[in-house]
Amino acid sequence: MRRLSGYTIAGLVAALIAALLAALWVAGQSFATRSGAGPDIAHLLRMSSAQAGLSTILSLLTGFILAWSLDRLRFPGRALVVGMLSSALVLPSLVVVAGLIAVWGRAGWINALLDHLGTSIGSSVFGLEGIVLAHVILNGAFAARIMLDRLEAIPPEKLRLGRALGLGPVRRLAILDLPALASTIPGVGATIFLLCFTSFAIVLVLGGGPGNQTLEVAIYEAVRLDFDLGAAVRLSLVQLVVCALIIVPATTLAPAATLFGRRTLLHWPESRPVARLQLVLLVVLLAGFLAPLLAVLVRGLDNAILDLWDLPGFWRAGATSLWVGIASAALCLALAIGLGMARALVSRTRPAHLALGIPVFTYLAVPAVVLSLGFFLLARQTGLSTGAAAPVVLVIANALLSLPFAFATLAPALEAITSRHGRLIRALGLSGPSQWRMLEWPLLARPMGYAAALAFVFSLGDLGVISLFGTESFSTLPWLMFRALGAYRTNDAEAIAALLLILSVTAFLVIPRLFERLAHVRD
Amino acid sequence: MVKTLAPCLVAVALGSLGSVANAQDNHLTVYTYDAFAADWGPGPALKAGFEARCDCTIDFVAADSSIGALRRAQLEGEDTEADIILGLDTATMGEGIESGLFVEHGLDYPELDLPMDWADPVFAPVDYGYFAFVYDTEALDTPPASFQDLVALPEDFRIVIQDPRASTPGLGLVLWIKAVYGEEAAAYWEELAPYILTVTGGWSESYDLFLAGEADMVLSYTTSPAYHVIAEDETRYQAARFEEGHYTQIEVAGILGSSPDIDLARAFLDYLMTPEAQATLPETNWMYPIVEPEGGLNPGFDAMIDPDPALLLDADTVAANTRAWIDEAFAALR
Repeated sequence: MRRLSGYTIAGLVAALIAALLAALWVAGQSFATRSGAGPDIAHLLRMSSAQAGLSTILSLLTGFILAWSLDRLRFPGRALVVGMLSSALVLPSLVVVAGLIAVWGRAGWINALLDHLGTSIGSSVFGLEGIVLAHVILNGAFAARIMLDRLEAIPPEKLRLGRALGLGPVRRLAILDLPALASTIPGVGATIFLLCFTSFAIVLVLGGGPGNQTLEVAIYEAVRLDFDLGAAVRLSLVQLVVCALIIVPATTLAPAATLFGRRTLLHWPESRPVARLQLVLLVVLLAGFLAPLLAVLVRGLDNAILDLWDLPGFWRAGATSLWVGIASAALCLALAIGLGMARALVSRTRPAHLALGIPVFTYLAVPAVVLSLGFFLLARQTGLSTGAAAPVVLVIANALLSLPFAFATLAPALEAITSRHGRLIRALGLSGPSQWRMLEWPLLARPMGYAAALAFVFSLGDLGVISLFGTESFSTLPWLMFRALGAYRTNDAEAIAALLLILSVTAFLVIPRLFERLAHVRD
Repeated sequence: MVKTLAPCLVAVALGSLGSVANAQDNHLTVYTYDAFAADWGPGPALKAGFEARCDCTIDFVAADSSIGALRRAQLEGEDTEADIILGLDTATMGEGIESGLFVEHGLDYPELDLPMDWADPVFAPVDYGYFAFVYDTEALDTPPASFQDLVALPEDFRIVIQDPRASTPGLGLVLWIKAVYGEEAAAYWEELAPYILTVTGGWSESYDLFLAGEADMVLSYTTSPAYHVIAEDETRYQAARFEEGHYTQIEVAGILGSSPDIDLARAFLDYLMTPEAQATLPETNWMYPIVEPEGGLNPGFDAMIDPDPALLLDADTVAANTRAWIDEAFAALR
């Protein structure tokens, strides 16, 4: 039953992606193309890989340091900090870019500080440095959040044993922490690499011009500017192949997750000198991560967020954002759990294990513009009006978009449960539903809460899918923000950005607690 | 009034004959760019104004850009809902013609207030403006007065422009430099490249960078300061007048051949050229009206720079060479 549902989901996702590409290909046949020289694919691949590789390594490194320090340190506001860490990833990239520029730009905070010292970093945030910086801020925080979750899941008995043995910081890291983290690194690393490899808005704004490009940008240009749909499909296939080269090893080589449990309440801080080092590292990194978000808040609140109440369409857009967010979070959770459960039952060496992991990533590998255009064409071919299809497409697309993140959070947990409790489940002869109710739900509630918050906020911040389906009558908050920006209404746009940030952080604080509370009631 | 009402009545008559099956006739759908259709754009006022004089309904459907609107109609083909595409401009009209979607509108033009003669049989003008670099008077005392001045500025001077393939001002700059420098355009782009902070996909991202103080000047319109003066009572933003002249952008609307009600569509294009309709455009779309609007032009526009000489390249030459000229500019930026 569980296997079947997993295979069904995997099959449906694969069929959907194939149908979208086919729709585009068919449409491409009916238009004369008058493309110029076309992009230099080898050059694009080299540039994108170097940029994405650098971004991934730096993101994992900063993510690790953040998680390591946060795991050991306790301070007031820690929950808020953890909540904010996750929000950067899911905010519309335009918002993060704006915050980044407000801090690192020519007229930004850093330069204002340096000005007193008589020096300046100028406009160095534009170009490759800016792209990598933005990616590390977005993805380093995501990596930190996932790793922190793993560290907190180390069972207290292990910690007690370690403390009794008097493990030093290095041996503690090697014996307790690294094995806990190992199962997440390939998945998280692959996800981050793909995100950076296919990065779009950040590369467009911070890239500095046509010199810095990704395949994703080239595909966008083929579709929107040259209207060469055939070329777009060809470039998309190149991107799919490259991404598969990343995904396949990452999913097959990842070591199995074994540790799993509820959040450890046991707190075992490091010795004083190490704790000091952690504090310094944490403060520096957090300043780097949170300053752009703070800048978004400051700019938005500065411009009277209350004015939004009167902005035409604000309430309607807000309501749409909320229900689309809730619907896509629910769908995303169902997909992630369905796939994760089926995969946990399949031996890691079997090809089926890979087959169940791949659909999770396809959405990352397929360019957003191709997907939204494909959805648009499919809706037309099935006779739906684009107006009627828009909400459905938005929910499906956003659920698929957040699937890799939800899966990265839930799959290791599901696998750990199966490997640790499999024998018990068989011995007790638990049925599927009671296995879920008695074992999985209490253990999974926390990561599920996080995955739900992630999916909800992802959808809340989406600006890619809505841009082809949004109209003046069907709008979400980010779309309203983008439109305001296009009509000299920078103040409104900044206020909406601040509001989105507040909503995201709130969701990350509230939703996981809600799930935990629900699970606790059943104890 | 009588003149514009007549086609409406004809349209009503023809519409009822033409399609009995569709009771929802006398309906127009206009594909346009988002800012035009937005609640704060010209769309709502034009809808109310036109519906008051014809027995019909009209809806604006927003795409992310005018090219996006054209692409959407192309993808939808014969069964597109659109009757009119509004928002292509003098630089992208050629794309429109090439799509083969448009038919001649058959309108008689009124006396137009355009910097050049207009007799296009397919596209009717809606409003117009001139491209210019906008700067902040509080940050820059003496703005460059010509393209030559621009590339003689200190090395840390930064401008922000838009991608010519995605944004009409971005394409406008390519044509502007071509109109001024002709064969020397590629060489000028080489000189300009170091001053370009970034090339954004759309106008809004670049204007935002400029307002945030990241760039000294942004490629926009001579009329951009009017927004700040009229809507924000802020006079610090000005357009830099270039002695070589400013490139003209005329926004146009055209009727799709697939429209079931071409007469009603024609009536709307005619309405767009009335003083009543033109009165809504300057302060919602921040462009110049093409005929003297009802109640005159807001005095806030008086302080706008004189773009003389207004530049405009021949439409056929533009259509034939756009891609090559963009490649030429990009070669310098890579």
